Amino acid sequence: MLYLALFLPQLSLEACAAESSNPAAVVDRRGTRRWIVGCNDAARAAGVRAGLEATMALAICPELQFLDRSPGNETQALRSLAAWAGQFSSWICFDRGRQLLWMEVGSSLKYFGGVERLLARVEDQLPELGHVADIGIAPTLEAAALFARSGQAAVREVGDLLPALAPLPLAELELDEDLKEILPDLGIRTVAELLALDRKSLARRFGAAALEYLDRLLGHIPDPRPNYRLPPRYSRRFELLGAVENVEGLLFPLRRMLVALQGYLVGRDSAVQEIDLRLQHEGTPPTLLKVRSTRPVRDAARMLALVRERLERAELKSPVVELQLLAQRLVPIGDTQLELIEGGSGLQESSWDELLDRLRARLGPSAVRQLGLRSDHRPEHAWCLVEGQQSSGQERSPERPLWLVPPTPLEQLPPSLGRPERIEAGWACGRDERRDYYIAEAPGGSRLWIFRDANLDRWFLQGLWA
Amino acid sequence: MMAEPSPVALPRPRAEQAIAELLHRSPHVWRGRGTAAAPAVATGFAALDRLLPGGGWPIGALTELCLAADGIGELRLLMPALRSLVQREGRPVVLVRPPHTPYAPALVNAGLPLRHLYWVHPATGDEAQWAAEQILRAGLAAAVLAWPCTRQRVPFRRLQLAAQDGKCLAFVYRSAQDLANPSPAAVRLLLHPAAGALRVDVVKARGGHGGTALCPLGRVP
Repeated sequence: MLYLALFLPQLSLEACAAESSNPAAVVDRRGTRRWIVGCNDAARAAGVRAGLEATMALAICPELQFLDRSPGNETQALRSLAAWAGQFSSWICFDRGRQLLWMEVGSSLKYFGGVERLLARVEDQLPELGHVADIGIAPTLEAAALFARSGQAAVREVGDLLPALAPLPLAELELDEDLKEILPDLGIRTVAELLALDRKSLARRFGAAALEYLDRLLGHIPDPRPNYRLPPRYSRRFELLGAVENVEGLLFPLRRMLVALQGYLVGRDSAVQEIDLRLQHEGTPPTLLKVRSTRPVRDAARMLALVRERLERAELKSPVVELQLLAQRLVPIGDTQLELIEGGSGLQESSWDELLDRLRARLGPSAVRQLGLRSDHRPEHAWCLVEGQQSSGQERSPERPLWLVPPTPLEQLPPSLGRPERIEAGWACGRDERRDYYIAEAPGGSRLWIFRDANLDRWFLQGLWA
Repeated sequence: MMAEPSPVALPRPRAEQAIAELLHRSPHVWRGRGTAAAPAVATGFAALDRLLPGGGWPIGALTELCLAADGIGELRLLMPALRSLVQREGRPVVLVRPPHTPYAPALVNAGLPLRHLYWVHPATGDEAQWAAEQILRAGLAAAVLAWPCTRQRVPFRRLQLAAQDGKCLAFVYRSAQDLANPSPAAVRLLLHPAAGALRVDVVKARGGHGGTALCPLGRVP
């Protein structure tokens, strides 16, 4: 087993979208005490630090905006991160309180071409997800966590754990805080010094829990944890900092969600053809948007382009305070389709579909149409709109005009030319229709397709010889 | 003080030839009638081909078709070129916001397979403008026929630029009155009804001749 741990020092902040040019900080509270657990760059520049009392922070930076820490949002963020991690591992677990996420990578190392390459891929994608993370790799969960927190290099073998752990300070160990305070008084400052004590005295002086933790750290005993099972669909809710009124402001968090969705889809060997967006407003009912694609997609940039077109068409009526992205129906894909979906193969057909998707996203799905034939003698029923793939119809009909207009009563009868074409049809609908069609010329030179309804004895215009 | 221009290193005939070749290669350089080799698709009407730059509908440039009334043969005029393009290359033909319903049986009769035909119908003229630009710029269609229904000049400039990017046939239908306004289109035509035919006045043809051609439209009067 080999575990990769991600330590997310700014999780509380990242979960609240506190990216703003105005100083903002996340506060936690216990009783009447309120203290900073995370702050954005603007606040940090003003001198605000995690751990500060809220009142003290306000004294340093009077315009500081406080956000309450939200365990719900943090769990949402971790679930999304776990979904993304699905592309690297089938075994994932996370601990919100400790701001940690682990994935087992030993079984997929070969696929990714070694630890270095895997690390590079993880590190490349983390900023796109909007997370700052420290990474640790070790054969035990606790050692990986400890390496991530203390910025240590990766250790592959259990045998190499002890030398790597030995020089680490005790502050990062998952031990009782009170215990960590008294250890220096006993002359114990590093992991090596702690482990130099014999087990009996360790257990007696620091408790069985501490001994058990050290055993798990070193891989002396197993450390079973529940595997976080990836849900069958991807869903992410995101509360926005303040109300967002423009599409650009929504695209920023959406981009991150789509990067996570891409990772999730890769892990599940799937793609999507439909994404649901739910925009929550203050007071008014939510806006529900569907983003559709002709071909299955999973490339984050492509999904973002479709989402952007859809949002631009939607015209936000009121500011958005929360958004939710949902990918429900996954389309399993095989290796053969992969090239098409990932794009880059330069296939014309797929870029044509992409263009149509962009048009549909912006103009509405019914704005992009194809035509088909129907076997009906009545000219207005002899054609239809075709949804989706192929429109068909090859049979030739008698001469017909290229423009069709809905039958329009004629006030003045233009001079008609040639012999009539008799069309009788419509018995099936219970109406017996008899029409005589003529070609006529309007004063302006337009050639008209007109008919006399024999039952009504009235004349109608139905087409133009364009 | 400017330095004296240094003498041309090439012998004179070769230099002239090189310059002629350079000019020849660029469709943007206007060099008097008939000489620029603009890429084009034959219209199917010999009389009209003779008047147009490159001998047909220009590729990668806007062609403007102005007419006073619908239903005079304004689509049939394009059918020979569209038919040969679609059947040869299998690329789609797109109608953007036509004024009436394109009638499927007539399109089949004209030899346009329906699977290659797209009818894009946005709600507004502005969106039609945007859609036409996107389709032209992508350069995947064989031809785009657009009815942008706007009198502003700026959008036409943008359509012309998009057409240059895309390298397909680009037709814009306008009203005859719009001829009074200047246009960046490479070719501007005024269409008149004539018995069994369409009379085409070539009002402007960058690198072409100008004049009038009579295009017979077949059996329909």
